[in-house]
Amino acid sequence: MTQIDASNRKRSSGRLMILGFLSPSLAILLFMVAYPIFSLVYYSFFNFSALRPAAGMKPVGLGNYEFLLGDPELWERFVFTGEFVALCVSAQMLIGIFIGYQLQKNFRGRDLLFTALMLPMMMSPVVVGFLWRYMFNSEWGVINYLLTVIGLGKVDWLGQTTAALFAAAAADTWMWTPFIVLLATAAFRGIPETIYEAAEVDGASPAYTFFRITLPMSAPVLFIALILRLIDSFKQYDLFFALTGGGPGSSTETVSFAVAKTAFSYFYTGEASALAVVLLVIIIGLSMILVRHLNKMGERY
Amino acid sequence: MSRSRTTGIDLAARWLFIGLLILYTIYNLGPIFWLLISSFKSRMDLFTMPPKIFFTPDLSGYESVFGVGSAKDSASAFGVFESLVNSVIVSTVGTALAVFLGTLAGYVCSRFNFSGKGDFMFFVLSTRMLPPVAVLVFYHLMFAELGLADTRFGLILVAIFANIGLATWIMKGFFDGVPQEVEQIAIVNGYTRMYAFLHLVLPMVKGGIAATAGFCFIFAWNEFAFASILTTTKAKTLPVKISAASGATGIEWTQICAAGVVLIIPVLIFFYLIRKHLLMGMTFGVLGRR
Repeated sequence: MTQIDASNRKRSSGRLMILGFLSPSLAILLFMVAYPIFSLVYYSFFNFSALRPAAGMKPVGLGNYEFLLGDPELWERFVFTGEFVALCVSAQMLIGIFIGYQLQKNFRGRDLLFTALMLPMMMSPVVVGFLWRYMFNSEWGVINYLLTVIGLGKVDWLGQTTAALFAAAAADTWMWTPFIVLLATAAFRGIPETIYEAAEVDGASPAYTFFRITLPMSAPVLFIALILRLIDSFKQYDLFFALTGGGPGSSTETVSFAVAKTAFSYFYTGEASALAVVLLVIIIGLSMILVRHLNKMGERY
Repeated sequence: MSRSRTTGIDLAARWLFIGLLILYTIYNLGPIFWLLISSFKSRMDLFTMPPKIFFTPDLSGYESVFGVGSAKDSASAFGVFESLVNSVIVSTVGTALAVFLGTLAGYVCSRFNFSGKGDFMFFVLSTRMLPPVAVLVFYHLMFAELGLADTRFGLILVAIFANIGLATWIMKGFFDGVPQEVEQIAIVNGYTRMYAFLHLVLPMVKGGIAATAGFCFIFAWNEFAFASILTTTKAKTLPVKISAASGATGIEWTQICAAGVVLIIPVLIFFYLIRKHLLMGMTFGVLGRR
């Protein structure tokens, strides 16, 4: 009898603890995330400007979405964002895996080098944007100087669309390759030594060992890295704000950048909300893939 | 067998790899070296061609960031020091509260099974993935309505919400590493669960709390998108102030470079302190627990 009592009391105290410990976080997140997102969806059905609230909100149904679908400029934003994501994520994965593989070998000064290489990831994206803008300057930038030293011509990096795309990708790759290096090194070190020894006994070549053992065995961790980078580069805003300001013209505007411009320069709040909803749907889709994967990983370890 | 295979090709590959590693190191560390050098250059030296490696150091960039010396009354340095103070206040208070709430939520998620736990965990994590500009469209209106626009309090609120997800997931990882038996034994001995949490479990994850705080601080300290839209004058943080550092003579590069260096210093300190937990923080506590 007393035992049942005690276990009952324990359970109810547990429930109290769940409630007490979770509700403050939940309250803040509901207020700061759920409420804004619901309002965003709501606003996306209205023609409405934050600048002129007095003009009222005209319901337009799916009008904002239809407008966005028919807007060729928006397609350009998506194409540009896609090109940027493809370019920098593939560069980061390739370089990151390669460097991570080199850094898992033992050599003198490895730990120091490893720590130093993590630096770019720790910087503020705005500082990164300005730093690269400073170095990419066509007149007195150090990159064009180095190009002339090795006998190449100067490039107007931030004044042409294609060059600006590569410049932005170079800056983003600079900042985030260390992240892939970090995860790849950890994944590679997690592979048991005995497997490599067995491969060596069998006379496997280094290339064979890398492609048939190292890569497949670290694939789950590398997949996390890939999805995280896809999400982050897809929503990239800060870097473009500081590096190109969206220019030349509006050719280097990402989808995030377009949302900000529509909402805070033109004050087309309804249209910006619809675009933000589209952006959210894409990000949430990617996040769900990630979370499913994280949960699987969590069970494994 | 395998030794005789170490041929010229292998040797060439090895040197190629070393070469590529060196090349990457230059790409990685070169810009940081350049930032450091440029922060000590005078405005004249910045634009010389070819760029100078040796020059007389000039502290005007740093003077404007810390609001001392000749920069005190200069128009271009206006408000830079104040924004540094804002940055410090917003990121420390925001971090402390996010870590506090994340610790509580992480503990519950690690120890209890309750309905909707999976959804809660996803919801919490998704806040970290959220594109800031998407919610900003609404924040812009909400903050104006509630009188939170251009206040430190508003930015602290943002710093809390933006870091709770990370804090919860990392702390859950650390709590998962503490055996359940700790509480069970305490309860058998007549202590309450709360007592066990406060006096037994919490001291065991002290290191984890510090690491989590480090991560949240780094993100809050570098945050730009929210601060740039939600502040106009008096609550501007340093990253926002940097982006506005264009005076009558164009962009104030010296000031930007100096502010960039100043922004890295606290991050470097935290980075050094949390280096062992780096993986845990970058992967939401899933990796690096081993």
